[in-house]
Amino acid sequence: MTTVLVLLLLLAAGTYLVAVLEAWTASGRFRLAGPVVAGIALLGREFIVPRKPDRIFFEVAPVLLLLSALLAAAVVPLTPDLIITDLATGALFINAALVYVLVALLMAGWGPNGAYAMIGGWRFLGQLIAYAMLIVMPITAVVMRAESLLTTRIVASQAGLWNIVYQPLGFMLFFVAAMALAFLPPFDLPTAKAELAGGVEAEYSGVRLAIFRLGRLALIVTLAAAAVVFYLGGWQGPWLPPWAWSAIKILAVCATMLLAGRAMPRVRDADLLHWCWILGIPLALLNIFLVGLLVLVLP
Amino acid sequence: MSAQTFFIGFFGLAAVWFGVVVFRTHSMVRSALALLFSQTALGALFLSMQAEFLGVLQIMMMATEMSIMAIFMVMFMMDPGGLGEMDMTHQKRLSLAAGFVAFAAAVAAAVFVDWGPVAGVAPDAAQQTHDLGIELLGRSMLIFETAGVTILTAMIAATAVAMPAVKRIGNK
Amino acid sequence: MNVELLLALVTGAALFGVGIYGALSQTNLVMIMMGVELILAAAMVNLVAFWRYLHPDAAAAQMFVLIVMTVMAIEMAVGFGVAIARFRARGSVEMEEAAELKG
Repeated sequence: MTTVLVLLLLLAAGTYLVAVLEAWTASGRFRLAGPVVAGIALLGREFIVPRKPDRIFFEVAPVLLLLSALLAAAVVPLTPDLIITDLATGALFINAALVYVLVALLMAGWGPNGAYAMIGGWRFLGQLIAYAMLIVMPITAVVMRAESLLTTRIVASQAGLWNIVYQPLGFMLFFVAAMALAFLPPFDLPTAKAELAGGVEAEYSGVRLAIFRLGRLALIVTLAAAAVVFYLGGWQGPWLPPWAWSAIKILAVCATMLLAGRAMPRVRDADLLHWCWILGIPLALLNIFLVGLLVLVLP
Repeated sequence: MSAQTFFIGFFGLAAVWFGVVVFRTHSMVRSALALLFSQTALGALFLSMQAEFLGVLQIMMMATEMSIMAIFMVMFMMDPGGLGEMDMTHQKRLSLAAGFVAFAAAVAAAVFVDWGPVAGVAPDAAQQTHDLGIELLGRSMLIFETAGVTILTAMIAATAVAMPAVKRIGNK
Repeated sequence: MNVELLLALVTGAALFGVGIYGALSQTNLVMIMMGVELILAAAMVNLVAFWRYLHPDAAAAQMFVLIVMTVMAIEMAVGFGVAIARFRARGSVEMEEAAELKG
């Protein structure tokens, strides 16, 4: 029970820092109080409900987004002991929880009965068809090296050499796919500010928008934590205690994710599908093949 | 009553309830997502029956599958939002009777068949995953490979069927 | 008779009944496919229940469930392929309007 509370608090802290970072990458101003001000402002605004909404979807979607990020975080270890549940199928469970991001966005797109929101929601379905394989197949290669689906075992398997060196191709694919999953720029197709006026976020306001944004920030933190566990050796590192290494690595990955897309133009959905299937999936297969060879050849 | 009994009953009820909602709602997206939650409840049911790998796999697979179902519903239905409250059914009485007879027959089979001794414990989750992997790439490899090839064939066939018959010339 | 096995089998039976009702009563191809999905889901419930309560050491039972999942995916792919072709040709996937398919 205390583990759950501690991890929730840590996730909240991480989410807060990522919110500060995101504001910094967007505007160039580093304000520690920024998210608090923005949150209070959101809570103080009118809670608008559009005409003839699908009320269940409209209310459930932001909560489901937050919930799927939290569930995925439940199998991510921060130290050898600090993990909510060390499932025997942990690496698969992260995928299973993160697919519900899609369901949440579909609901958020369909629920409010607005054209821009609906286009955003369906766009994310296309985006999923592009990135889904690139999440699953690199994880397969990671699991092949660890010979286990347990996330703690995956971290332990990287004691000698981190996976980012062992399978750099897999890391690059996973990193790009994770950015697409968290709809960060340049993959922010469902919430495109310029073309869709906010897309799935367009019809949300007040506390629902606050939960939606919170869910998305928690999703970024969870994905960064997953990338750290799968590729960057988790809690391992010299001198500092395990939790500190986990925290530093997760924040570094978050910052890289947020900064990487800032300078790029938004990808077109057709191009994203094209490149993911023409280039990404063959590369992912090659990665699995190479890792298989390495696992067999190296002791 | 053990916790396992409670959870099996609870998730089973949830799965059946969402399954009924699929055919009772007028909104097509609601219908597809009700099917999704029915399948998710089944995944949770598998988890409460200690089939961890299958449960997690079910929860993962069905989310994508049913979301794709949702977009096809919106594409092909005349009234996807369900605001017109159209009746989309036929031969209702016959179907109800058939459904009820099927249910009654299956329940009768479940109750009256002697299932023999019931096993007390299942192997733990890590052992199950290991055994399943050995099974897939050992004794059942031929079946597994056949399933894979069948999926590939189905993908090609579906694409071939769905492609427009007339070749567009000029624009790529 | 084990209560948990019975509960799981009754769940499977109920899903089977609902699926049969859906597959027979709906007029739209996609809705009929939903009924078929429910029937297959009922089969999966039974398989998992038999694995857990009768043969927990047989990994082949779990593999059977994977095969059923494959069948579900194939059914979706082919069904949607046919639906797209039908929609292109006739502008609808309603069963009532497909009487010419009768031999």
